[in-house]
Amino acid sequence: MNDTSAKNLALSHMWVAFAAFIVACFMGEFQVLERSGLFESLTSISVYFASVSTHGVLMAFVLTTFFIMGFGYYTASNSLNVPIWNPKLAWTGFGIALTGVVMAAVPLLSGLASVLYTFYPPVQAHVAFYIGATLLVIGSWVWCVIMIVMFYQWKKDNPGKTVPLAMFATTANALLWLWTSAGVATEVLFQLIPLALGLMDTVDPGLARTLFAWTLHPIVYFWLIPAYTAFYVFVPKQAGSYLFSEEAARMAFIVLVVFALPIGFHHLYMDPEQAKGWKLLHGVGTFIVALPTLVTGFTVIASLEIAGRLRGGKGLFGWIGSLPWSNPMTLAVILSLVMLIFGGFGGIVNASYAMNAMIHNTAWVPGHFHLIFAGTTVIMYFAIAYYLWPILSKKPLASNSLALVQLWTWFIGMSIMTTPWHVLGLLGQPRRISSVQYNNLLTMSWEPYEILMILGGLILLISACLFFYILVKTQFGATTEIFAGEVEYAEPLHEVKDLPEYLNDFKLWNKVIAVLMLISFGVPILQFFFMDTYGSSAWGY
Amino acid sequence: MNKISNEERKKILESPPIGTWVLMLSVGGGMVAAWLFLYYGVFLSRGMIN
Repeated sequence: MNDTSAKNLALSHMWVAFAAFIVACFMGEFQVLERSGLFESLTSISVYFASVSTHGVLMAFVLTTFFIMGFGYYTASNSLNVPIWNPKLAWTGFGIALTGVVMAAVPLLSGLASVLYTFYPPVQAHVAFYIGATLLVIGSWVWCVIMIVMFYQWKKDNPGKTVPLAMFATTANALLWLWTSAGVATEVLFQLIPLALGLMDTVDPGLARTLFAWTLHPIVYFWLIPAYTAFYVFVPKQAGSYLFSEEAARMAFIVLVVFALPIGFHHLYMDPEQAKGWKLLHGVGTFIVALPTLVTGFTVIASLEIAGRLRGGKGLFGWIGSLPWSNPMTLAVILSLVMLIFGGFGGIVNASYAMNAMIHNTAWVPGHFHLIFAGTTVIMYFAIAYYLWPILSKKPLASNSLALVQLWTWFIGMSIMTTPWHVLGLLGQPRRISSVQYNNLLTMSWEPYEILMILGGLILLISACLFFYILVKTQFGATTEIFAGEVEYAEPLHEVKDLPEYLNDFKLWNKVIAVLMLISFGVPILQFFFMDTYGSSAWGY
Repeated sequence: MNKISNEERKKILESPPIGTWVLMLSVGGGMVAAWLFLYYGVFLSRGMIN
């Protein structure tokens, strides 16, 4: 499907995403420089926290949401072979989300929203930040509605047919996001905006943290699903192979969506407002949600093994060397999986109830989430961009070899930057601090790690600039060459026949999610309305 | 890239992914070992919080 509207939507969304990304990368490097205390002229606590907050918002909310929406619009139109349903509405959603970003940027950059991109009262931002964030979410809800309408319209027009895997995954993500964002939306609308407007002067942080925990973990899977989508629908084909099992892929997306939601209390292990039993329940769920990642790892690696063997690879691991390492998508998935192993291990430690006490709120935590998000996830965003840009702009990729250099430097930079973070976390360095210079032996022993992080950050910044340059040169370069290629989806190794409806629809899974959410969040939220909260009612009114 | 015969191709497509199994089990085993090391070697050895 050559839908110009979908291509324009995809490009516009992705440019916003990557513009936010490049700005955030400069801020990230400033932060490691400032924090080290080695450059006195850079030292400023207020600028540091404004920068951290803006870096986090740009990376975690703007890059992700706009990239996911842009990728989703193109995937929906292309995989279903239909035009975008209601493009005017899609552009309206884009406008709302962009307005929200601009609105939130003003207090962020002026230091009035230095809340470290969290929603944890009593830390409080300017009301414009909360309203801006709400508009961004409303814009993303428009995208969710369009994806779901297109999914069900296609099913209605093609009774009995299997929804293409790319669209199945995209719709799964839209549903996940609707469920996920409900928690923080409730908190912002009923607690944070009234508080910031001065309509109430007290707030219950326990309720706020519980509602934010509703959102905080599944949002990671919202970011990750486009990467997994590329793993399944692009990587096997790009590597010259087949998707090992489409049924496993569908089941992985379903389990991700269902079990990503009722598990957020592993972020609250050290909090007093929830009882141990609820935390344990969420902790068990956290380990369950590791299963689809294992299934994904297995399926993707098995697809790559077939590719390597078809290219002449022999022996137990000889196929690895035979893979097309010069293909950006193939290289990206390998590097992404390596980072997923280490980042995933960090996550297992975070989720281990007792051991969490050892690394809670230490530098280990940003080390973990940078590996999972900025490593595993964002490197696949790069690969998707390299794959789609020639198709969207109708111009060949400016340089395949530069793209490979960019992916390698991102991987090397991320490894150099996150390893010291993990070590520092085990050594007891707290996270969210603006300085590590206290002139005692303990903090002085952190210095070599800080220098390594500066180096890692610098490599990442160079890599990010290279990525941006390649995209700009591809789309706006002087070449007159026309790229006529189209998206090619991986075919399953075994033809998908007689797929059960539960692997081709979400009605059943929505009901399962509703029940699980009621079990895991019902009493933990309701309790705030039935007990004294010492000077504040639950909503603070 | 080596050329392979149709017979070889068929065999590859029908073979179980042994390399993947070994890789996954190795990574899984490594993770369990690393977790045990962190739990018994680092966490418990630090003693009680006081």
